[in-house]
Amino acid sequence: MNTKVEISWQGKKFSLLADRAIHWPSQKTLFIADPHFGKAATFRKSGIPVPERTTQDDCDRLTQLVQETYSRTIIFLGDFFHARVGKTEEVRKILTDWRKNLASLQVHLVRGNHDLNSGDPWPELQIQCHPDPVNILGIECRHLPVSKSEKPYLAGHIHPGFTLKGRGKDQIRSACFHLNQSQIILPAFGSFTGLKNIQPLPGEHIFLTNGKEIFEIPITA
Amino acid sequence: MKKQTKTARENPGTIEVNQFFQSQGWKPFPFQKKTWQAYGEGKSGLIHAPTGTGKTFAVWAPPLIEWMNQGKLQKKRPARLKVLWITPLRALVEDTNRSLTELVEGLQLPWTIESRSGDTTGSRKASQRKKFPTALVTTPESLSLLLSYPETRESFSELEAVIVDEWHELLSTKRGTQTELCLARLRKWNPLLRTWGLSATLGNLKQAMATLLGNEKEGVLIEGDTRKKFVVKTLIPKNMERFPWSGHLGGKLVEQVAQAIEKKTTSLVFTNVRSQTEYWFDALLGVRPEWKGQIGIHHGSIDRKERTVIENRLRTGEIKAVVCTSSLDLGVDFSPVEQVIQIGGPKGIARLLQRAGRCGHQPGATSTVICVPTQAMELIEYAAARKSMAKGKIEEREPLNAPLDLLAQHLITLALGGGFKEAETISEIKTAWSYRNLTRQEWDWTVEFIVRGGKTLQAYDQFKRVVIKDGVYQVPSSLISRFHRMSIGTITSDPAITVQFQKGKTLGTIDESFIARIKKGSHFFFSGKLLTLVRIRDLTAVVKLARSGKGVIPVWGGGKFPLSSELAQSVRERIEQFRLGKTSEPEMKAMQGTLQLQNEESHLPALSEFLIEKTITNDGVNWFLFPFAGRLAHEGLASLIAHRMSQLEPMTLSVSFNDYGLSLCSNSEKEIDETTWRTLLRPEGLVEELLTCMNQSEMAKRQFREVARVAGLIFQGYPGAQKSIKQVQASGGLFFDVFAKYDPDNLLLTQARKEVLERQLEAKRLTEKLREIQNQLFVLRNPAKLTPFSFPLWAESLRTQISSESWSDRVRKMAQELEAGN
Repeated sequence: MNTKVEISWQGKKFSLLADRAIHWPSQKTLFIADPHFGKAATFRKSGIPVPERTTQDDCDRLTQLVQETYSRTIIFLGDFFHARVGKTEEVRKILTDWRKNLASLQVHLVRGNHDLNSGDPWPELQIQCHPDPVNILGIECRHLPVSKSEKPYLAGHIHPGFTLKGRGKDQIRSACFHLNQSQIILPAFGSFTGLKNIQPLPGEHIFLTNGKEIFEIPITA
Repeated sequence: MKKQTKTARENPGTIEVNQFFQSQGWKPFPFQKKTWQAYGEGKSGLIHAPTGTGKTFAVWAPPLIEWMNQGKLQKKRPARLKVLWITPLRALVEDTNRSLTELVEGLQLPWTIESRSGDTTGSRKASQRKKFPTALVTTPESLSLLLSYPETRESFSELEAVIVDEWHELLSTKRGTQTELCLARLRKWNPLLRTWGLSATLGNLKQAMATLLGNEKEGVLIEGDTRKKFVVKTLIPKNMERFPWSGHLGGKLVEQVAQAIEKKTTSLVFTNVRSQTEYWFDALLGVRPEWKGQIGIHHGSIDRKERTVIENRLRTGEIKAVVCTSSLDLGVDFSPVEQVIQIGGPKGIARLLQRAGRCGHQPGATSTVICVPTQAMELIEYAAARKSMAKGKIEEREPLNAPLDLLAQHLITLALGGGFKEAETISEIKTAWSYRNLTRQEWDWTVEFIVRGGKTLQAYDQFKRVVIKDGVYQVPSSLISRFHRMSIGTITSDPAITVQFQKGKTLGTIDESFIARIKKGSHFFFSGKLLTLVRIRDLTAVVKLARSGKGVIPVWGGGKFPLSSELAQSVRERIEQFRLGKTSEPEMKAMQGTLQLQNEESHLPALSEFLIEKTITNDGVNWFLFPFAGRLAHEGLASLIAHRMSQLEPMTLSVSFNDYGLSLCSNSEKEIDETTWRTLLRPEGLVEELLTCMNQSEMAKRQFREVARVAGLIFQGYPGAQKSIKQVQASGGLFFDVFAKYDPDNLLLTQARKEVLERQLEAKRLTEKLREIQNQLFVLRNPAKLTPFSFPLWAESLRTQISSESWSDRVRKMAQELEAGN
């Protein structure tokens, strides 16, 4: 089981985790993009039935990742909340319980486009919010990827997915990490988030994950 | 009975209509008079006949006659809506309106006729709801939408008849089921409501009528004018090669097709898929450059405006030919069309009849269709279709079986349209044929779904789509009402990229997966034009006209028509007759070399035989099986056998299939004898095993998109949609994953699986086929080389790779293939 892939990028060592996060061991830091908390609640409030347990599960996954990697910091790369209507009491309770459990953790958020509409997280969650982009621990953190950046950066927003085609009609579509010299785009962390297929260019790297295992996919010209 | 006939003849309305017919130089056909009388007696029914035989006036005259009888030649228009006319295509709405108006104006009646469809403006719709016309021409979706307004009941209080046009087209679709549900409601409001359907000939007309009329009503089945003559001609290639493969033959016949077009004023050239229309349009201009501007192209992805231009030119006859797909199968009366050309196999007898019927539109005229094979086996299809047409053996179309996604949508519509009570609504719904066997459990689940979101009470907190107040189910939120009205309907549109010129004119839509492969500055064909891709932004491909050069032809998703069971059976009978030396058709003569070679190299199976060939090629061991059951059933069968084989011994198999057979390719050296084959082909356990295969191949996940859309989980987005809509958009696949994980008993998941089993894998047909095969004599052959039968399967190449591996193994293997440059 390949649950993680270690990479060296810009002279730093990172682990791409199958559970759709990046671990930076030397700084005991986790990068998480696009959790979209409260998305299911937003749907339900609009009359679209979506089971609730996604938020609880996502918090459990976060806790497990923090514990497994002994991380002291989490940096959310935007879209912490999905929408203002989804910030229900129930979601608040789940997140607050999660935070209490990991009280010593440093938590940062680079505001994403959804956060601008939803507003910052509740104060009791103790999350430091930053405008996009921000430099934390010497790494350029963004929500929205940009085509020209002086500094190499990590970003979210895209929800990158990739369809791997086998012979004939066989195909697998999964979330992926999308890397090149100047950027790493993380897959969306939230369980109830979609994918957007990307077209990697020669020289770029794609790491496909189904949440449990992760593989690098060779890019053919 | 006799007395009634007399009164019918003498009543003032009938006299008026007869006089109008006379003034036009027409004479009512016996079937028209029969309909007038049945309608006058308060009956409902179904009229079946080929298109262009006067079905419209058969059902349109009687409501007018009745009104004239009630007070001869009243000058005042009726106060309320009297007749609803439902047509399956938006594009037909205006045309129908025109032809209905013709009779009303001829009789100088004060009736008003209006249209209402997705194309009608919002303000027009609003004013219509205040004051309905006497007759309204509309679509199933628009009717359903009307039922979501509480005032509609009052406005429809004098509605006396609903006429459903092209019922055969709706019958076995969710749109047909939606029509059934709407009719059930209208009948509950007015039990004396008359329902009349117009249909092409089908193999199961009685069932078609029962479905339309609801399961408690008796009706009259009226056969229209069937004297229409059909002639099927085939262009036979001069040099027949003996190894047929798909798509390869057609190109050689372009010149002959051009010559056929030259001989007539106006022709329709039908193809089976959109990419073929692009190919043929270009090919025809290639041999006749002077036809530029004189021939047109028409298919479902071309911009609506462009299509309307072509349709109008067809109507006036000022166009030499139109290359089209099933987009022109239906309705619209194109009288000037003199000739129909069918490119590729007809795949069904009804379809060929329908297409042939697009020419010779005048009653009594002969409809000629010229068939152009794109691969040799299609020659047999033409001969077989001609035989079946002569015998009147037409395919059946079955209504759906209680789709719960649609029931959920309809119940919300009813909750919006004044609310509903449980007990009486259950009995109302059960009067719709498709829901006649609805179980209490299914009903309860659906109600639970719209009220609480799902079975798990806790899991769907805050969800209030429908609430119960004093025993009445209603929709409390205006936001939800708005969302629901926007998403009424069952048509699922593919996410597509709009093709647009730099100056802003849109040409139509194209699949994302196709355009993603086109590089900026390179060429492709679309809408009959050679285009250069300028850029892709958002969901728009900006293009400009290319000066010259070569271009790629786009491929659109969506399946090919499978060969129908009836036509497949008929093809086998042709082969049987050939074996017995009893065929004389030109098509069979042309096939002589191919079929004889098949017999020499392997075997030409008799009706009582089942042929299996084994040939070793560079790819490994290939087994070819020939059930002749159509490509869908073969796809299901191939997955099933592959699954069963891999249980005998772990192996990786590549499968491919076409309408006649399937192939399995493996690197295993395993010998398979007749006993093993019979076990592999056993009908027992088929459904369970197919479900297992389905889970591996994500077929159910893909099907879930439609189910989720109908059940109101997915809003079909449109550019510029408000944020409130955008933030509640998710894909069908995402819903599928979330439900599968958190609510695995959700009946919508069950329904998606059922739809794949029934519609995509044709489980029922497959079971019957396997039973039949078990009774056949197995003929196992090991030809050293590929045969005429196996060659096209081999050439279709290695399609699906079925294996019992895990995600990581599959990914690893595919990655290795990529590395190897495969």
